[in-house]
Amino acid sequence: MTLRSLFIPITLLLVIAFLIGPFLIIVAASFSAGETLAFPPQGFSLRWIAKVFTVESFRASFGMSLFLAIGGTAVALVLGIPASYALSRYKLPGAEIVRTIVSAPIIVPGIIVGLALLRYIVVPFQVGITLALFLAHTALVLPYAVRVVSASLDNLRSDIEEAAVLLGSSRIGAFFRVVMPNIRGGIMSAFILGFVTSFNQVPVSLFLSGPGVRTLPVDMIAYMEIVFDPSVAALSSLLAFLSIGIVFIAERFLGFSRYV
Amino acid sequence: MFQNRAEALALALPAAIFAAAVFLVPVVILLSDGFRVPTGGWTISAYTDFFSNSLNQTVFLRTLRLGALVTIASAAIGYAAAFAIVSLEPGAKGKVTGLVVLPLMISPVARTYAWIVILGRTGIVNQAFQALGITEAPLRILFSETAIFIGLLQLFLPLMIISLISALENMPKDAIPAARVLGANWFQVFWKVVLPLTKEGLVIGGTLVFTGSLTAYITPAILGGSKVLMLETLLYQQVAVSNNFVAASVIAFILIVMSFAANILLKRVATARNKQRSQA
Amino acid sequence: MSDASYLSLEKLTLAYGDSVAVANLDLDIRKGELIALLGPSGCGKTTTMRAIAGLLAVKSGHVRLDGADITRVPANKRAVGLMFQSYALFPHLSVYENVAFGLKLKGMRGTELDTKVQSGLKSVGLSAFANRKPAELSGGQQQRVALARSMVMEPKVLLLDEPLSNLDARLRLEMRTELQRVQKETGVTMIFVTHDQAEALALADRIVVMKSGKIEQIGSPEDIYNRPTSSFVADFVGFENIFPLENGKMKTSAGLIDLSGKAPSAAGLAWRPRMVTLGTGPFQGTVRGTSFAGDAREYLLDTSFGPIKAEVEASQPTHALGAGLTFDLPAEKAAPLSRFV
Repeated sequence: MTLRSLFIPITLLLVIAFLIGPFLIIVAASFSAGETLAFPPQGFSLRWIAKVFTVESFRASFGMSLFLAIGGTAVALVLGIPASYALSRYKLPGAEIVRTIVSAPIIVPGIIVGLALLRYIVVPFQVGITLALFLAHTALVLPYAVRVVSASLDNLRSDIEEAAVLLGSSRIGAFFRVVMPNIRGGIMSAFILGFVTSFNQVPVSLFLSGPGVRTLPVDMIAYMEIVFDPSVAALSSLLAFLSIGIVFIAERFLGFSRYV
Repeated sequence: MFQNRAEALALALPAAIFAAAVFLVPVVILLSDGFRVPTGGWTISAYTDFFSNSLNQTVFLRTLRLGALVTIASAAIGYAAAFAIVSLEPGAKGKVTGLVVLPLMISPVARTYAWIVILGRTGIVNQAFQALGITEAPLRILFSETAIFIGLLQLFLPLMIISLISALENMPKDAIPAARVLGANWFQVFWKVVLPLTKEGLVIGGTLVFTGSLTAYITPAILGGSKVLMLETLLYQQVAVSNNFVAASVIAFILIVMSFAANILLKRVATARNKQRSQA
Repeated sequence: MSDASYLSLEKLTLAYGDSVAVANLDLDIRKGELIALLGPSGCGKTTTMRAIAGLLAVKSGHVRLDGADITRVPANKRAVGLMFQSYALFPHLSVYENVAFGLKLKGMRGTELDTKVQSGLKSVGLSAFANRKPAELSGGQQQRVALARSMVMEPKVLLLDEPLSNLDARLRLEMRTELQRVQKETGVTMIFVTHDQAEALALADRIVVMKSGKIEQIGSPEDIYNRPTSSFVADFVGFENIFPLENGKMKTSAGLIDLSGKAPSAAGLAWRPRMVTLGTGPFQGTVRGTSFAGDAREYLLDTSFGPIKAEVEASQPTHALGAGLTFDLPAEKAAPLSRFV
């Protein structure tokens, strides 16, 4: 073995250890039998995994995060698909402005979005926290929805709609009959990307919490500050496997990475 | 290209109006707070106040410094990793790339949380150091810039590696052997051929890493604690602890200016490349 | 070092991981010679070339150049030039900077550098394009830049990877002439890799035919074209009717068949379509296909021992599809093969 032929495996080993190692440690720590978070884990038990399901606030915030991720992404797609279609197929006046506005939430730090929403929507209009969170997560996912759907529209030849119209379909009918079936993979990918983004999002939701209303990651941070037991590790592991599982299935069946 | 304007607007406006109402207008008002005098009129005194405070200066410089260091470190490691990955067989390449991307799917809370176990007083690093006799008492690694640096690097390195992989793969085939045959040593190959040809990928990755580090909240919050602040955590404190919305607005504006500056750079490089393509 | 072995490969074995691409290859090349490495893709010709350039580590054996063992000399320290099939011009550098690239690395500066680069560009007729980027040139011009970039380094050996394959027919002739001119003017030893027999025959002093990592035959273009020694080479250079011999008889799917003339002692015989006599002879066939090729007409015959390809001058009377025909495979015209694989 020469020095150069060792370079590749050693580099990869170190980089992957750095990127994945911490996650593996968290997984190991969640099976600890000990009272505090530690590695190597003290003994083996499933008690912390079991505990996750009994903590009331985790259950409530998990439900909230799930609702925001699914509902927010769905609404973002309902808004984003027509906008993407207009941007990709029409001579839209002010197209660049529209594109900038809908994709801006990706550029502005989440904490600022959350604070602005709190100060200038929630307080003056007496909007409930749940609705505010819903609006924030929808706005956050919108740029991803537009980007991914636009990419799959751009990869689709635009003459198929013209062909459909010439064959007697209306413009809207053509969209549902020939465009939608062909960008289904892109839409599903946008949904998954939006879901993961929304679910893992913290800064946007930081200021948007009220009594009993919190997203799961924010709740986890709050819990960590008070209790230092392995239950957050257990919860993190469970969530990570959930995300990885979803993305893995998406990649398998949709070729997710083509769109992202 | 369809020409019907009314149709186009009907399709695009709901999304645009939603984003403007929920996001753009509130954010713009928030940003203007830092420039408004409560009794009417405009001022930049909030900014001069902010920068004359030595704690704020420290936090501002720390944010810039950490952003820069994380970007530089991820570029250095990213090139080595991307080189190694593109030299793999196609099957192995896909699997290793998957492992690199995998952390992006895991909640940043979980990813950051792991470092507490590793860097804490009784964490793995301290256990190892003491066992090896490198240190006697546990080192205080957590709640320091070092800890934030490590956490941010781990969070954003995948973005840099992915950008550099695609840049390296788009490099003309045989450019490296051609330089070798013409007499370049490995350092010269990198400096004169690889770097100029992957510049765009480096800038794209660098912008993602830099803005990401600048605007990360979880990592400094968990690994920096309440003492070692970055702009994002300072903003949170100003609101949650001090109720100082003017200072929060100032910090928000600074963060946005910094992010926008980095994004404009990204766009400029991207359009420069398109121009080159269309000429060719 | 003798004149006959300016560049020599001794028991050269090359591998990608565990798969051996070239095994135990011996080859001696004279100074100033123009050699073609000819073979189908995967025969190891490009691998051999990359090893000569130092781009591929040698598993065992030696590479000697001008009296020195360069087996372990890194690519950037060998006086070996390589013109890549993709040309591998640096897209971020102008034509001038591309040609100057290697000279600058040698530490050349100022007027000396400028003179060298200018004369290099002039020799390929691209002085007017010095400030262009490679992407603004045509394929043929890009290749001439690549040639100039290699030649200004004054390499002891110039390697060319499929130098004519990316060009259209007209440019191909132009480049062929160009390469011959450069070789004549500078006397540089040239080795080019190709899968196209016509290219090799037209350009090379000597052709090395390779197959599966081994040398199949070395010889002058006339040797290779007229006197292939193995069925593989015969097939490669256009002998389309090839049969093994057994006891002086042709071995076919229909059993052993007597030839009309006396068969030489060989492992097999090969006929070009032109060598097949139509209209007379001991064999019977049916016309299954026919095509007009300008000055000639080609026939595909079905026979009891398999398909036979024949070609006659276009002025000869034509035979219709399905017509029965007699023909002959004259033994005295056939190329005798010493190896049949």
